[in-house]
Amino acid sequence: MATQPAIEARELRKTYTTTRGVFRRERVERAALRGVDLKIAPGELFGLLGPNGAGKTTMVKIFTTLLLPTSGSALVLGLDAVKEQWALRKRIGFVFGGERGLYWRLSGLDNLRYFADLYRIPPAVSRRRIPELLERLGLLGRERDRVELYSRGMKQRLHLARGLLNDPDVLFLDEPTIGLDPVGARELRLIVRELADAGKTVFLTTHYMFEADAICDRIAVIRDGAIVAEGTPSSIKTLVQDQGIVEFEVVGMPVERLAGLRSLPGVTSVAISEHELAQVVTVHCARPAEVMTQLGVILDGIRLEKVSSREPTLEDAYVQLIGDSR
Amino acid sequence: MKRLVLEGQVFVRSTYLQYVALFQWANPQGYVAYKVLLPVTQILFFVELGVYATGRQNALYFALGNALQLTANAGIFGVIATVANERQYGTLPILLASPANRLVTFLSRAFVNVIDGIATVVIGLAVVVVIFGLNLQHANLLLLALCVVVISLTTAGLGLMFGSIGLVMRDAIIIANIVYYLLLIVCGINFPVSRLPGAVQVLSFALPLTRGVQAARDAAAGASLGQVGGLLAGELLVGLSWALAGYLLFRLLENWARRGGLQEAY
Amino acid sequence: MRSLARAALSAFRVSMRLRVISPWAYLNWLVFPVLFAAVGLYVLSTPGAASSHVVYGVLGGGLIGYWSVAYLDGGNGIQDERWNGTLEQIFATPTPLWVILLGKICGGLLFGLLAFLPTAAFAYFGFHAVLPALDAGRFVISLGVLTLSFFCIALTLTPLFALWRWAFSMLNGFELGVYVLCGFMFPVAILAPWAQGVAGVLGPTWAVRALYASTLSEGPHDYASWWLATIGLSLAYLAGAYFLYSLVERRARMSGQLAMV
Repeated sequence: MATQPAIEARELRKTYTTTRGVFRRERVERAALRGVDLKIAPGELFGLLGPNGAGKTTMVKIFTTLLLPTSGSALVLGLDAVKEQWALRKRIGFVFGGERGLYWRLSGLDNLRYFADLYRIPPAVSRRRIPELLERLGLLGRERDRVELYSRGMKQRLHLARGLLNDPDVLFLDEPTIGLDPVGARELRLIVRELADAGKTVFLTTHYMFEADAICDRIAVIRDGAIVAEGTPSSIKTLVQDQGIVEFEVVGMPVERLAGLRSLPGVTSVAISEHELAQVVTVHCARPAEVMTQLGVILDGIRLEKVSSREPTLEDAYVQLIGDSR
Repeated sequence: MKRLVLEGQVFVRSTYLQYVALFQWANPQGYVAYKVLLPVTQILFFVELGVYATGRQNALYFALGNALQLTANAGIFGVIATVANERQYGTLPILLASPANRLVTFLSRAFVNVIDGIATVVIGLAVVVVIFGLNLQHANLLLLALCVVVISLTTAGLGLMFGSIGLVMRDAIIIANIVYYLLLIVCGINFPVSRLPGAVQVLSFALPLTRGVQAARDAAAGASLGQVGGLLAGELLVGLSWALAGYLLFRLLENWARRGGLQEAY
Repeated sequence: MRSLARAALSAFRVSMRLRVISPWAYLNWLVFPVLFAAVGLYVLSTPGAASSHVVYGVLGGGLIGYWSVAYLDGGNGIQDERWNGTLEQIFATPTPLWVILLGKICGGLLFGLLAFLPTAAFAYFGFHAVLPALDAGRFVISLGVLTLSFFCIALTLTPLFALWRWAFSMLNGFELGVYVLCGFMFPVAILAPWAQGVAGVLGPTWAVRALYASTLSEGPHDYASWWLATIGLSLAYLAGAYFLYSLVERRARMSGQLAMV
């Protein structure tokens, strides 16, 4: 990368030490991050995928200056998240998923005004920006209602408005769609994508595959505190490229006819199983679409039924990457 | 026989919930703070106040009154915490759907809290007796102990009323807080009931503690059971009345809830 | 600098608004002080007791309410923010925690002063008790000095509450002990010598003594040294607070425990 990365982690480690027991204190150490290296370019929408407890939230908290790493360095916009927290806090925003973190008994507007002052935004700026944010996030008209009367989706959008108050260059979103209904989640994803398109760097954690696949420019998969894969959604999918499937049924076909299928590029296996009168053929391949177009040519004159195909999904890749740790 | 087993199960479950409510402190510091520090400093404050106003010879008067009032701490707040737990663990509907005897179910809510109340009084009184060097040589200690048990029962009776209120009102704990401190004024804990306005005195004798504390002071001065029997009987009657009123309210709420009128009870 | 002042003012405003709609706040500045004042007035006006005792009933409930609101604001405020999940949010803003707490604590002090109104009214109408020899000037100065000490204590204790939840439980449990040691409702002089020693290092004790002296004609009136004692102790607490805040900042980021519920 030629330009300075917006977010960078070098050998980032975090070990939590807790004490257990009342009379016999016992120290328990748990490694949440085991040496993470990461570079995210300005303007990138980066997704961090991983199961619960993999270290996603720990990473976000370190970048947002809420948590100190045990070793290694965390830089955001070239600022050290450990030592330069005051300068950094002005330039980043963060949103944690869930309904907490708002003053429920105050109105949405009061919440925003309060945090605008805590973010030390000049009044002239916040007077202009708060209505803009309310409008953009679809809260206009409800801003004077108490937050406790808001739906979950509205609360989450209010969270996002709060995170955008200081017009941050980098936005951290920790599982922002958790607990939202499908419509609310999709609205939020659209807004996040728009923010990235407008030039903001977005660091998003999630455990919804389709969410990462749908909006992220680049993703990393974290497992047990270590990055196990990194790249664009499609490059991650190539990790499981042999997991595309084409399946069809034939009646009374000579087995030799399948030889042509086996020789197609990208095909890793062809299996046949007898199913009453019919035979079910399953082809594992990298590019199901290509296999489909060749089917008619190779199996000319044979009647195919129930033809189906499935591209490898990010979820397949994720399950393969995470699976063996379970 | 089957009936008895069922009642037993309900009793055990209820007792367990009270136990959980009582020891839900996340750490021993919490227990020390609210079950030792709070009672002891409360007695100390009022005893010092009384000593300042009326002289050191009256220390026992204030010590006894305020120590016995502490049973309300266990009785009222304990029962409310139990009901809050029933809500939290969702055991109330199970209880309501069971064929168990309602009265037994209801009364069992206060079992552990009565014992806790007795323990609180004993700890508080012991500390004050040592600090102020109180003389209990002439006291009828057995009778005093009986008074402590009776008062723990009667304040728990008042607590059961608040337990029922707690079923419908989330902020019942606020009312309980007010009543708890009100008892310090109206029940002859720190000054004779006779100094209160007439209308308030009616309330005094409708509440637990008033007669019981009087009986305990007499016992500490050496009175016999025959002399304070009437006071203790009255005290028990008042406590039982409150428990019964709480029970009737509980049944009323139960019927109301079954007709769908009261969602919040669960 | 101006943006920090604005942040503190905003924290002040929000804390006031939250308090206006919280039933607990009314309990603390209105109900409890009056209940304590009632017990105090009845006991202190026991037939045969010295008439000068009654001033402790007139002001005692108010002092108890003032203190409770002032320090509860720090403790409960932090606990509430923790429960709401906002503690972490405000911690992550570019405004230092002490600035936010400064605003909140000022809100608490203003609300706490309200406690004197219902208690004094109760004393006047219920007991016809007044302050016989009120020296208004010295009374106001003493109240000001007391306010300074409450402010410093609240500012010092609150970071402790942010870090150690049990510290708040402990102080809550010991609340009536504070009333005893600071002489809110009776003079510290009646306590055992060791307890008087402990009381002596508490800032409010001396200001409370000056406050009561300004309402009574008899007894010593050593105002200057009492005020200085309170101011000196309060400043010492502030020095401790300075270290506590940097400790909180570091410890909180080490363990990430601000998010815990």
